[in-house]
Amino acid sequence: MDEILSVRGIGVNFGALRAVRDVSFEAQRGKITAVIGPNGAGKSSLFNLISGAIAPSTGQVFFEGGEVTGNSPDKMLRAGLSRSFQITNLFFELPVYENLRLAAQYLEQGRGWLRPVASSAQAEQRVQELIRQFTLHDKANELAGYLSHGEQRRLEIAVSLASRPRMLLLDEPTQGMSHADTRETETLIRNLATEHGLSILLVEHDVDLVMNLSDHVVVMHQGQKLAEGTPEQVRANPQVQAAYFGERQEKASC
Amino acid sequence: MNQVLEWLQFVLAPQMINGLSIGVAVVLMALGLTIIFGLLDVINMAHGEFYAIGAYVAVAILGLGLSFWWALLLTPVLMAALGYVTERGLIQRVFHSKDRHTLTLLLTFGVAVVLEDVLKIIFGANPLRIESPIPGGTEMLGLFFPNYRLFVMGMGGLVIVAVWLLVFRTSLGAMVRAAAFDRYMSASLGVPVSRVYAGTFAFGVALAGVAGVLLAPIYSVFPTMGRDFVLIAFSVVIIGGMGSIKGAVLAGLLLTQIQSISSLFISPVWNDPLLFGIMVLVLMWRPQGLFGKLGHA
Amino acid sequence: MPDPHISSPRGPSALRVFTYLFFFGALCFALLAKWMGDVFFLRLATEALIFGGLALSVDLLLGRVGLLPLGQALFFGLGAYVSALVLKEWSASFWLSMGITLCVCAIAGLIGGVIAIRAKGVYFALISFGLAQVISKIVFNTRELGASDGIIGVPAVAVVPGVDSGDPLGFFLVTLVIILGLYVGLRYLMETPMGRQLSAIRVNEHRVPFLGFDPWRFKLMAFVGAACIAGVSGALYPMLRGFVSPELMFFQVSGNAVINVIVGGTGTLIGPLYGSVLLTGLRSVVGSFTAHHQIVIGLLFVMVVILFPRGLVGYLAPLLQNRLNLPTRNRGEL
Repeated sequence: MDEILSVRGIGVNFGALRAVRDVSFEAQRGKITAVIGPNGAGKSSLFNLISGAIAPSTGQVFFEGGEVTGNSPDKMLRAGLSRSFQITNLFFELPVYENLRLAAQYLEQGRGWLRPVASSAQAEQRVQELIRQFTLHDKANELAGYLSHGEQRRLEIAVSLASRPRMLLLDEPTQGMSHADTRETETLIRNLATEHGLSILLVEHDVDLVMNLSDHVVVMHQGQKLAEGTPEQVRANPQVQAAYFGERQEKASC
Repeated sequence: MNQVLEWLQFVLAPQMINGLSIGVAVVLMALGLTIIFGLLDVINMAHGEFYAIGAYVAVAILGLGLSFWWALLLTPVLMAALGYVTERGLIQRVFHSKDRHTLTLLLTFGVAVVLEDVLKIIFGANPLRIESPIPGGTEMLGLFFPNYRLFVMGMGGLVIVAVWLLVFRTSLGAMVRAAAFDRYMSASLGVPVSRVYAGTFAFGVALAGVAGVLLAPIYSVFPTMGRDFVLIAFSVVIIGGMGSIKGAVLAGLLLTQIQSISSLFISPVWNDPLLFGIMVLVLMWRPQGLFGKLGHA
Repeated sequence: MPDPHISSPRGPSALRVFTYLFFFGALCFALLAKWMGDVFFLRLATEALIFGGLALSVDLLLGRVGLLPLGQALFFGLGAYVSALVLKEWSASFWLSMGITLCVCAIAGLIGGVIAIRAKGVYFALISFGLAQVISKIVFNTRELGASDGIIGVPAVAVVPGVDSGDPLGFFLVTLVIILGLYVGLRYLMETPMGRQLSAIRVNEHRVPFLGFDPWRFKLMAFVGAACIAGVSGALYPMLRGFVSPELMFFQVSGNAVINVIVGGTGTLIGPLYGSVLLTGLRSVVGSFTAHHQIVIGLLFVMVVILFPRGLVGYLAPLLQNRLNLPTRNRGEL
C-alpha cells in the first residue's frame, strides 16, 4: 500500500467564506479515491486546490513524495498529474483526432517540433490507442464541437489521459450524462485503474456511481472532511447519513 | 530657497495648470472610451476620430458665423446622433457573433480609417486654427492664468461630475448598468436593450466630441489629430482600468500631470514613449489597471 | 469555424489550388508585362508582393495564434531601414543585407514579444500599436536616420548573377520566389507539432497548459517569427524603391496589412497574399483618380467585416473544397 497523493491541512478562504478548512487525506496508488458531499460541501474547491487551479491559504499537497502545492498546470502535468474538467474544455473547433494528438504530443518529450505531424510516432500511436479505448472510431474526423454530450465527456477524459499520467483527477466525469453513458463511463474508469494501474481521484455528485466504483471515499461537509473509509464504512456512518439525509429532508419540504 | 520658490511659482505651477486643463479633456475622452467599453464591451478604435470630428464640427459651426458657445452646445448633440447611428447601423450587426471582440475592434478600426479620410475630403489636410473664445488672462496668487484654460478646467470638471452623477445616481444610469451586467435579464425586465446600447455609445462619442471642442482653441485642428490622441486615451483607460470611471478620472489627471511636468526636463519627443512605457509597466504589473476588474478583453 | 489547414481526407486541398493559381497567375502577369515592355506595373506588383509578406506575418499572429497586431509595420520598417543602411553604408550585397535584417528583427521581435506577449486581446493590440507609434516617432525625429526624409540613394544590388534589383522583371521574380518561399514555409509549419500548438492556443488557450505546455513560449516564438517575416519583406523595399522613410513604420502600413489579411481571408495564409495584391491594385487605380483612396479601402473593409468576415479565400475555399470532394463520394449522397 503506498500513497501517491497526500493532502495535508489544505484550506482556502474566499474573503470571509472558509470554503475548505483543514482537509487531510491520502490516495493510494492504483486505487480509485472519490470525494463526495452534499451541495456546497466544498468538493469543487478542494479539487481546484489539489489540481493547482487555486492557491491554498493553508496546507500542502504532495504527489509521489514531492510537493506540488499550487503548481501551475503545465508543471503538474509534467509531474504526472493530469485533470479533466467538469465543464467540457476541449478544442471544439478541431477534430477529435487533433484534440487527442495535441494531448499526446507530450509523449514526444520535445522531439520533432518542426517535423511533419505524421512523423511523431509516439503521439500517433497513443492517439490510435485512445480512439480504440474510448470507442471514438467513427467520430475521429468529426469536430469536437459536433459530438454528443456523452461523447464529449468521454473525449474529455481521453484527452486528460493522453500524456500517460500516473494519476488522474476527474472533475464530475459523468456530469449531465444519460444513464447508459454513465454506466459506460463507470466501466471505463474501473478499467483504467484495474487494467492500467492508474491512480484516480474523482469528485462526483452521483453517489451510487461512487459507491460502486471507489476503493476509498472521502466525505466533505461544509468545507471540512466529515468521514473517510471504504464505501461500506462511509455508507454506514451515521454522520454521513445525517448530512445527506438532512439535505434530502430539506429538499422534500420545499 | 528663493530660487526654488520662484521656480515652483513661475515654471512648475503654470505647467501643472496647463497639464490640468489638458488633463480634463483627456479625462473626458477616456470617460467616453471606458463607458463604451465597460457598458458595451466594445473597444472603440474610432474614438480618436470622433474627438477630431468634434473639433471639426466646432470649426464648421464657427464658420457659419455662430459663436463658440453655440459650438460647445451643439457639438455634443450632433456627435451623439452620429454615435447612435454608428452603433445601431454598424456595431450591432457584429455584436452577436462569436468573434465579437475581434470583429468590433476591426470594425471600429475600419470606421476610423473611413472617418479620417472623410475629414480630409471635407476640410482638407491643412491644420486649422480657432480663436480662443476667452482671450486674456487672470492674475491669481501672483501667477498669470489664461482665461480659456481656466474655463476648460471648470467646464470639464462640471461635465465629469455630471457624468458621474448620471451613471451612478440616476435611474437612467442604473438601467444602463443593468443592461451591461445582464443583457437578457434586463430585456425581460423591460429595458430597451438595443436603444440603451446605442444611447450609451452615443453618450461616449458625445464626450469625445466635447473634448474635441474644448481643446480646439488650444491645439490646432488637423485630420490626424484623432490618431495621435487616441493612444493617450487608451493608455489612460488601460492604466485606470477598463470600465472604471474612477480609474479614468484619476489616471487621466495623473498622467497628464506627469506629462506636463516631465516636459520641463525632457524633450517632447519622449512624451509618447513615456506614457507608453508607463502603460506597459502597469499592464505587466497589474493587468486589470488600477481600478479595473479582470475578465474584460 | 473549421481549420482550413487540416485538410480534408478526400480530394486535393482547395488551398493548394489557390496557391498554384496565385503562382501561375503571377508568372503569366510577368510574361505579359515583359512582352508589353511595362515597368510601372511590374514594380507595383513587386510592391504588392512585399506588402504581402507583411500581411503573411500579420496572418501568422492573427489567423493562427489569435493575436491581433496593430503595429507590425514596426518590424517591416525596421527591416527596411536596416537593409537600406547595410546596402548604402556597408556593402551592396543582397545576402548580407538579408542576413543582418533577419538577425536584427529576431532580436527586436524577442524584445517586443517579451513586452507584448503577456497581454491578450485588445491589450496586445494596443501594446503592438503603441510600440510602433513610439518607435516610428523616434525614427522620425532622428537626424542620423534622415529624420522625416528617410534614407535615399540606396544602390541597386545584384541578387543572383544576371539579376539585380534594378531589373523590374528579374526583381519581381526574385520577390515572388522569396514571398512564396515564406508562404510555403509557413504552410509547412502549420503541419508540424509547433504549428498545431499555435492553432490550439488560438482555439482554446486555457486548456493548453493542462496538456503540459506553456503557451507563453509558443506565442513568443510566433511573435519573433512574425517579426522576422515582416522584416525580411521590409528589407526588399529599399531594393525596389531605392529609399526608405519613417512612413513605412506608421500606423497606415500596419492598418493596411490587417485590412489585407481580413479581406483576403484570415488564417488561410494565401488569402492575405491575394488581399495584398487586390488592395494594392485597388489603391493604385483609385489613387489615380483621387488622393482619397483610403476611404474606398476603408468602406470595403467595413463591408467585409460585417458581411464576409472570413474574407475572400476564407469563403471560396470551403466551396471549392466541397466540389473537389464530390467525385470521391456517391453523387446520390448530397
